[in-house]
Amino acid sequence: MGFLSTAVGWLLGLGSSVIVMIVLIILGLVFRVGWQKAVRGGITTGVGLAGLFLVVNVIISALQPAVAEMATRFGLTKTIVDVNWADAGIAWGWPGVAGLIVSLLVVNILMVVLKMTKTLWTDVWSYWHGSALAGFVWAATGGNVFLGILAGVLYLVAGSLMSDMTAKKYQEFNDMPGIGVPCGTTVQASLFAMPVVWLLDRVPGIKDWDASPEGIKKRFGLVGEPGVLGFLLGVIIGIFAYGTTAGDLGLTKILGLGMNVAVMMMILPRMVSIIAEGIVPITMSIVQYMRERFKDREIYVAVDCAVLLGHPAVMASTIILFPLLVLLAAALPGVNMLPIASLAVVPFWAGAVVPYTKGNVIKTVIVLLLYAIPFMYFSTWMVDSQTEAYSMMGQFSEQIGQGLKLGSWDMGGDILGFFIRQIFGLFS
Amino acid sequence: MGRLIVVACGAGINTSTIAEDSIRERMAKEGFADVEVKRILMADIEGYLTRDDLVMIVSMMKIFRTFDVPVFQGMPFLIGSQDEKNVLLDKIVEAIKKV
Repeated sequence: MGFLSTAVGWLLGLGSSVIVMIVLIILGLVFRVGWQKAVRGGITTGVGLAGLFLVVNVIISALQPAVAEMATRFGLTKTIVDVNWADAGIAWGWPGVAGLIVSLLVVNILMVVLKMTKTLWTDVWSYWHGSALAGFVWAATGGNVFLGILAGVLYLVAGSLMSDMTAKKYQEFNDMPGIGVPCGTTVQASLFAMPVVWLLDRVPGIKDWDASPEGIKKRFGLVGEPGVLGFLLGVIIGIFAYGTTAGDLGLTKILGLGMNVAVMMMILPRMVSIIAEGIVPITMSIVQYMRERFKDREIYVAVDCAVLLGHPAVMASTIILFPLLVLLAAALPGVNMLPIASLAVVPFWAGAVVPYTKGNVIKTVIVLLLYAIPFMYFSTWMVDSQTEAYSMMGQFSEQIGQGLKLGSWDMGGDILGFFIRQIFGLFS
Repeated sequence: MGRLIVVACGAGINTSTIAEDSIRERMAKEGFADVEVKRILMADIEGYLTRDDLVMIVSMMKIFRTFDVPVFQGMPFLIGSQDEKNVLLDKIVEAIKKV
């Protein structure tokens, strides 16, 4: 036991980038992708993870003083720093990630064999939603890897069942026979949309109200670009925080914050993309194996929610939603995080809702304004275990010790994840 | 001048990586040293349309517009069998040989 705990301690001390590199190289060799691919994939993902945390560091040092300044000036308690997809760093860097991947593969194959689900979860990248949740539970239970994996698998099993319910609709609307999309907060948006759209279709006035997606994109499209949006949000927050700071210094700080937020909005997804670039080739062989194994059955092959983004109403709704969501989060009492990085998840939600609103922009906006409210509260309420997960991975420990809190909508505010975390919280 | 294939998806994170990997491997096998395969966000495509070396777009989602260069739907890379993937790769190779 003594040797084991020393070994585990040494491994954790290596830092998440090195751990994920080793884990992926081993997984690659187990899945027989060849050692060259395994090594390249492992190192690439390690680099992506390190890069992701670098970007988060930039944004923490820019944004934290600004939100603190707003708090002292106006008594605004919106002090949680929104890092959104940095949670992918928890997902691929927490100590149980390899156990989670293997467990889910086994559970999913069993469920398909026993005909409990039609969704064959081949999209290993999307396991990250469950794995991030697993990381939160791991942190909330004082480092219990087993409970973390259990929570993550539960979440992902629920995802397969939700995918069964939505697959046909996605297939028809996007003209993609055979797919299913089990991704976390995206597929839940579809389930949420079903009753809301049913109601909206019975309200006179709203029933036939629509806006032209092309017109919106032409006029306001610029705001939909992550860099531009980030710069704008940064400047607005900067004006509140430093607007009365004397002379040049205030302006310097405002523009600097705008640029830093723009950096985060553009670079954070690129870093996530580098992580994926390493993981995807390593998991391809297992995916191929699963597909061949079940080719005679009616199966929904899991794909990433990005395939849902094609319809023009997706981006148009997203552009309208951006300012409304920021204002809503600012106005709602008890919501302590202004969404910035989290806005990046909104197009995916829209992609999941548009099949149900038949591409109607107004209805999509209404559905998602309502859908976002629980995310705003849950991300505030659950921020401690999320922040603790970063700290336990050795990230930002110093700032966290000084009171920094890191939150997100995707996965921190996740609705299903909230309930799973409540249940597993009983074990802490 | 090189030849550029862009693989476009909604997020530029996951689905396009899968297609990019398969196409790159095949291009290497065919010995097309001058073919560059690049994954991009569909939202960024405007910047690539004006490039002289762009010869093909592989799209990972349903698109609602037309382009001057050949466009292939990349969905078989995600959900197809090995045979279906090879059929698509053969078509891509054929189209590349023509330019």
